[in-house]
Amino acid sequence: MKISAAALNRLQKTVGKQNVLTDEVSLSLYAYDCSLSRTRPDAVIQLLRTEWIAPVLHILYQCNIPFVARASATNHAGSCAALNGGVILNMAPLNRLLQINTQEGFALAEPGVITGDLQQQLTPLGFFYAPDPASERVCTLGGNLAQNASGARCMKYGGTIDHVLEAEVVLPNGTPISFSRAKGGPDWIGLLAGSEGTLGIITRLKVKILPAAKHIKTFLVTFPSLEDSVQTVSDLAARGIIPRCVEAMDQITTRAVEEFSHAGYPLDAQSLLILELDGKPKQIEQDALQLETICRQNNAQKFIPAKTEAERQKLWFGRRAAYAAMARLAPNVMVADGTVPRSELPRALKKVRAILDENHIFASLLFHAGDGNFHPQIVFDERHKLDALRVTRTVKEILQACVDCGGTISGEHGVGVEKRAVMAYQYDKPTLDLFARIKRAADPKNLANPLKLIPLKYAEKARAPQPLLENIKPLAQQILTHWETHIPCVPVGANTRLRTTAHNTLSTRDLNQILEIDKTNYTATVQAGVTLDALAAALQAEQVFCVLPAGNGTLGGAFCSGCMPGFYPHVLGLEALLPNGSYVRYGGKLMKNAAGYHLSRLFAGSQGTLGIVTQLTFRIFAQSIPVAANYPFRSAPGNSFWQAIKTQLDPEDLFPAVQGVLDD
Amino acid sequence: MTDFFAQLDSQHTQKHLPSLQTPLGERSVYDSVAFCNRCGSCQQVCPTYLLTAEETFSPRGRNQAIRLLIEGKLNLSRNRPLLKAMADSCLLCGRCTEACAGKIPTAEHILELRRTLQTKTLPPLLHKLLSWRNRRPKRFALCIRLGWMIRRLGVIRLLRTLGITQLNALSWIHHADDILPAPAAGLFKNPFWSTKTHAPEKPTFIYLPSLEAEFLMPDLGAAVLKQAAQKQHVLVWKNFSSGLFEYIYGDLRQSRRLLYRLIRRHQQTAGGKLPLLTDSIDVYLFLQKAPQLFSRWPKKKQQAQLFVQNLRFVTDILPKTPLRRIQSGRIRLDKSALFSCEGKPFETAEKILKTQFRKNFVECSYKNADTPAFGYSFVQRHLAHSIMMQNVQNIARTQTGTVFTLSGLSALELNFYLKRFYPTAKADHLVRLHG
Repeated sequence: MKISAAALNRLQKTVGKQNVLTDEVSLSLYAYDCSLSRTRPDAVIQLLRTEWIAPVLHILYQCNIPFVARASATNHAGSCAALNGGVILNMAPLNRLLQINTQEGFALAEPGVITGDLQQQLTPLGFFYAPDPASERVCTLGGNLAQNASGARCMKYGGTIDHVLEAEVVLPNGTPISFSRAKGGPDWIGLLAGSEGTLGIITRLKVKILPAAKHIKTFLVTFPSLEDSVQTVSDLAARGIIPRCVEAMDQITTRAVEEFSHAGYPLDAQSLLILELDGKPKQIEQDALQLETICRQNNAQKFIPAKTEAERQKLWFGRRAAYAAMARLAPNVMVADGTVPRSELPRALKKVRAILDENHIFASLLFHAGDGNFHPQIVFDERHKLDALRVTRTVKEILQACVDCGGTISGEHGVGVEKRAVMAYQYDKPTLDLFARIKRAADPKNLANPLKLIPLKYAEKARAPQPLLENIKPLAQQILTHWETHIPCVPVGANTRLRTTAHNTLSTRDLNQILEIDKTNYTATVQAGVTLDALAAALQAEQVFCVLPAGNGTLGGAFCSGCMPGFYPHVLGLEALLPNGSYVRYGGKLMKNAAGYHLSRLFAGSQGTLGIVTQLTFRIFAQSIPVAANYPFRSAPGNSFWQAIKTQLDPEDLFPAVQGVLDD
Repeated sequence: MTDFFAQLDSQHTQKHLPSLQTPLGERSVYDSVAFCNRCGSCQQVCPTYLLTAEETFSPRGRNQAIRLLIEGKLNLSRNRPLLKAMADSCLLCGRCTEACAGKIPTAEHILELRRTLQTKTLPPLLHKLLSWRNRRPKRFALCIRLGWMIRRLGVIRLLRTLGITQLNALSWIHHADDILPAPAAGLFKNPFWSTKTHAPEKPTFIYLPSLEAEFLMPDLGAAVLKQAAQKQHVLVWKNFSSGLFEYIYGDLRQSRRLLYRLIRRHQQTAGGKLPLLTDSIDVYLFLQKAPQLFSRWPKKKQQAQLFVQNLRFVTDILPKTPLRRIQSGRIRLDKSALFSCEGKPFETAEKILKTQFRKNFVECSYKNADTPAFGYSFVQRHLAHSIMMQNVQNIARTQTGTVFTLSGLSALELNFYLKRFYPTAKADHLVRLHG
């Protein structure tokens, strides 16, 4: 599409003529990111001030011009390509670090601040920002949140989603809105994480900073098989040892990396782990002893601790050089990204190797073993169209294999346009419908980064829905009746928090099965009506722990009421009934999932306004951990975003209404 | 795709490099440009991107633009002004190559683009003056000496007062007057200027002084000579152009001719076995590229390869262990150079300084700006000023007392800014480490 002269004129008046680029060269240079996608926009706007964003978006909304936010454009999924033309908003100039508050543990930054710059500023202060994407020297905080980026430290510290405290966002219609986790209600920041700029533009971020570990110990361990190395990671989790990083590579990768970096990696091992512990010296010492024992029990061939900082850096140099080692071999390196439950990692990796061999493709295979997240790095030359097609097809096959192993098509790189089609392989139609509705709620004109994330014409291609469990069917039928008869209802669990006296309640008490306690992946899958007392007893019987305290209330209530926000980061998967009776499934035993909107964060604290959560999958631990704080129930203040989603899902307010929607 | 230059110019085989010697082997310009995976690792080390935050002025953007030009997806004549701005704004510093996993030589791509655009980037008068160095070396030397004399007499100051140097065509005189040291009383008696040639009977070393060491900072030339003469019989090749100026700002054919003249002269002196020393990192790195200029002529290429083996930089003649204890504040190394900021000379320089100053040596961050090298400030005054100010800020932030550079020009530029904005620090060429 072309931008009208009038619209261009208005934009130029708002940001200055010199900040609206329409020349052929600039448009060509804002057409790409690190993926294979390339589409020229119609204009590029240099955003020098955050205050410009709202008026610019307002003009774009009025003139129906699509827009895409772009900062460093380092993503691998084509999230920054302006597929519908329109405007690229260059966020890179918004790179001011506004405040570092070590007393309260936060940093306030504009979205274009480089993640590595923040780390550099924090280091002399004895603090650090936990998410560490491999591209941290060039990627931005805003981009990290939009893609929900994470890195090697994710197993212990989590991804970007868990480290943003507040975010200021401008919605696609130009309305500024401020999200804070302290306000209650759904975890909007969680929903924003991984939304790839399809819901709005992030204008300011308040991120959590943590005191830096003073003592770190790094180990290199080799194994005769992939299974042994993965089993080692599971055993570590079982003993309650959560390493700061667990990085791994297979033999082919080790050889390629060693040839380039000379980091001293043994070449005879099938699998290699780099493990890093941090904490107090005594604790590290104890953990290191246990670590060695566990590694030896799992047939470790070599156990090499880094004795000096130089040795430690050398070990990491090899791992960091993995990309460079491949980048020298051919013009293009496609870094694919998939995540499977940790226990499935050996099977998934074998499948991936087989797919690569079948397609005659040379690739290295790196993986964050702690998270089940792996990255095949495929080298090719995009100038040879057939090669490029073969690689694209192979990546698709790999991602499908990943889904077949119970995994997701993206652990940390996002979906963008390159994995858009495979989303239909991972999710069923009701879940994709929900994604589409969330998008429509925030962006009714489909202007914010259009044609991303949600597959086109997915109705026929979507994964077939799995049958409902028997005890969910009556509840589903009841909801459908309410939807058809337009009679409002109030979802409740044990009614311990809401304490409603209404008669038209829909109770989840019948959803009382503990479906699985998985001691390999350390996850539990439990229905929402299970009481916290029953859950605690079941976990105790298995000698595992979770962050939920014992109590009379139900699991669903603890999650949806907003009383235990500390539980949200532990939830990995969710199933829910929507007001129209459709059943959505999201996540599972996955430590990471960057495919689609984070539905678990949307329903967290939603207080029954958006649907009924029927089942949750969450982390459990081998050793007791501090329980999440349990706050008294209070109605969360609404906002226009919540109201818009509510209108999409429940236009007739059959479920409880959103409170105080003007509190933006 | 390889016909791109042919479409522009019938003499493309002469005016352009047929292939580039990259750290990962010989590649055509198109192949080399196509190695950019658009990962963006280079963005945050590029001084112009850090200033503008515009893709157009980033290494990735420049490489992609060249690729699109070659692929015919971007029109050259329609976009000439912006392409020229992209090409001229590049510092050719090679920081992007250092950050790049594929070691893409972006600076070389930019030079190819400049050759394609066929525009002169230096002010015409300055360009003319500098091109005399190879065509009429005696006249060039005379002009420089006259320039010094005129300056000593206060004529330049008068021109500045009258505002004549504010004129666009003469603004380079203003800048040159800014950065050059005050002409000392004994300038013309400097041993490096007064002696006709240093030509020992049996030389063991050849010294090829850079333009600045010979004409702008003769005491630098004298310092190198003094350092080298401690153990060697040094033959000095005065006022002899290496072809670097033509390589960067002029015609590649001329650069090739001058370089080959140098190679031949070296061959003819003691059988081409004498080490050839230079004091400028820019000249050293350019001479290292000699085989690349002759890739079409196998015999000449072979000669160039032999020539390169005999190249030496001042770090090779400096003592590796401290001669004496030097009392100093904090010091750092300014790695500004053309084409690259990694490799042996940089490592050796860093090692020497670390051994000498230990804890007082300030490690630089990968984002720290360096001094724009080899005449950049005469081409891009505003950008160069901003980059220099960032450099000074970094020096002030780390409370550095002395900054050692690897070329005289960088020391001159940096000293000017330090004197104005952070006078407690000073810059000097590394060769004067021991005074």
